[in-house]
Amino acid sequence: MIINVENLIKNYDGHTALDGLNFGVDEGDIFGFLGPNGAGKTTTIRILTAIIKADSGNVLIDGHDVFKEPLAVKKIINALPESNGYYEWMTAQEYLGFFSHLYDEKQSIQESDKLLVDVGLRGKEKHLIRSYSRGMKQRLGIARALINKPKLLFLDEPTNGLDPKGRRDIHDLLIALNHKHGTTIFLSTHLLDDVERLCNKIAIINYGKIVRTGELDKMKGKGTIEDLFFLSTKEGAL
Amino acid sequence: MKSAYIMQKEIRESILTPKGFIWYILTSIILSVLSYLFLTNSELSLLDQGQMLYLIMNFITALGVLIGLVFGADAFAGEMERGTLEALLISPLNKMEIALGKLGAAVTNWGIIFVISLPYLFVVGKGGQNVLIGIVYLAVLGTLLAVIFSAFSMGLSARIKSMKNALITSFFLFLLAGSPIFLSTAIRGTWFGSILDFINPFADAINTFDSVVIDSQGFSYQAGRVAIICGYTLLSLWFLKRSLSKLEM
Repeated sequence: MIINVENLIKNYDGHTALDGLNFGVDEGDIFGFLGPNGAGKTTTIRILTAIIKADSGNVLIDGHDVFKEPLAVKKIINALPESNGYYEWMTAQEYLGFFSHLYDEKQSIQESDKLLVDVGLRGKEKHLIRSYSRGMKQRLGIARALINKPKLLFLDEPTNGLDPKGRRDIHDLLIALNHKHGTTIFLSTHLLDDVERLCNKIAIINYGKIVRTGELDKMKGKGTIEDLFFLSTKEGAL
Repeated sequence: MKSAYIMQKEIRESILTPKGFIWYILTSIILSVLSYLFLTNSELSLLDQGQMLYLIMNFITALGVLIGLVFGADAFAGEMERGTLEALLISPLNKMEIALGKLGAAVTNWGIIFVISLPYLFVVGKGGQNVLIGIVYLAVLGTLLAVIFSAFSMGLSARIKSMKNALITSFFLFLLAGSPIFLSTAIRGTWFGSILDFINPFADAINTFDSVVIDSQGFSYQAGRVAIICGYTLLSLWFLKRSLSKLEM
């Protein structure tokens, strides 16, 4: 198992964000993490990526304890946060160059250009990020998240605000990444068609607890993913 | 080593965006006006070279502190508000490495201001005594003050998480630091004024410049004040480290 979460608890100012979270993700999965707004999805990702600490519980990422070995974890993962900002005064090439240094990945310009081509930014390498559209920035964010060739990639609402073509392109990119490189993808979203198209396994979180988890096809049965989601989060939407 | 990349990024941002560049332009303009007034205004030109140099040194120090505060306040809260902090925190470097890179950039900005001010210092102090030793004191104490105020402001930025509030609190800190200057000579002469002067790193620096440039006193007279400033430098770095442990998204 590449992610193993046991009894994770996190409180913010008296509000319980995570209330004894338990789940696991196998290597090579595209794992959908679903839940209504405020259910605890982003908090979970921030704990799993060693940005914030939990009040209690255990998290192992590829065998490393997130709380005791955060740097070891950060070397094998990467993430695209929900509201990812950019250094708008940089070019895409400079942006990737900056982050590759932080990962000790001495990427050549050709390598970062290839990454930009892979995410569909061919010919835009030397443009200032401030001239990019929202969709282009999202692609650049994904390129940044691939800079260290992560074993595990966390994506928080990666297709939010994109047009249908932009969403389709991102889907294709993630599927290719998973098939070609075996990258495990942890996809947090509330867009059910993203889950349907991409994920083989899911977990549904509500009020900081996992209410259902398993293989998507088995869980759906003959119903739809919408039925499954609404049944699981009946009183949870905030 | 990774701090160096953060520092490089911050310095490039200062040069390529109005955020930092405006300070350099402003410094040049204000120093030009001040120097011109000192040398041409009939009343100001009556001041001797030492006093002119002392006043310019005070101004440069205040500017260095101010820049440190602005850069410090932006360090974490600004990145958080622009949504760029999370990508940095996901990267395999610890928070102190990020902070040291940003602190290095704030001190470099002070260095640039200092270099810009050098010709003005030489022109205004020309023919006077203690010009060189005054500039050495300005370089050393100015750098320490830039570290102190940047680190305090950066710590506040990590704790408060709002650039506006971090900036307001930092400016309040700046006014507090500069408060002895606004006190009358009579109050400064009392035990209260003396203590306020002594425990205030900004006032310590200003009084040291006065003692070195105008009164031509040696290092033994400055040692106490320099020690206080060094103490504040360590305190500010400790405060920054403590604040970073509380930094959460």
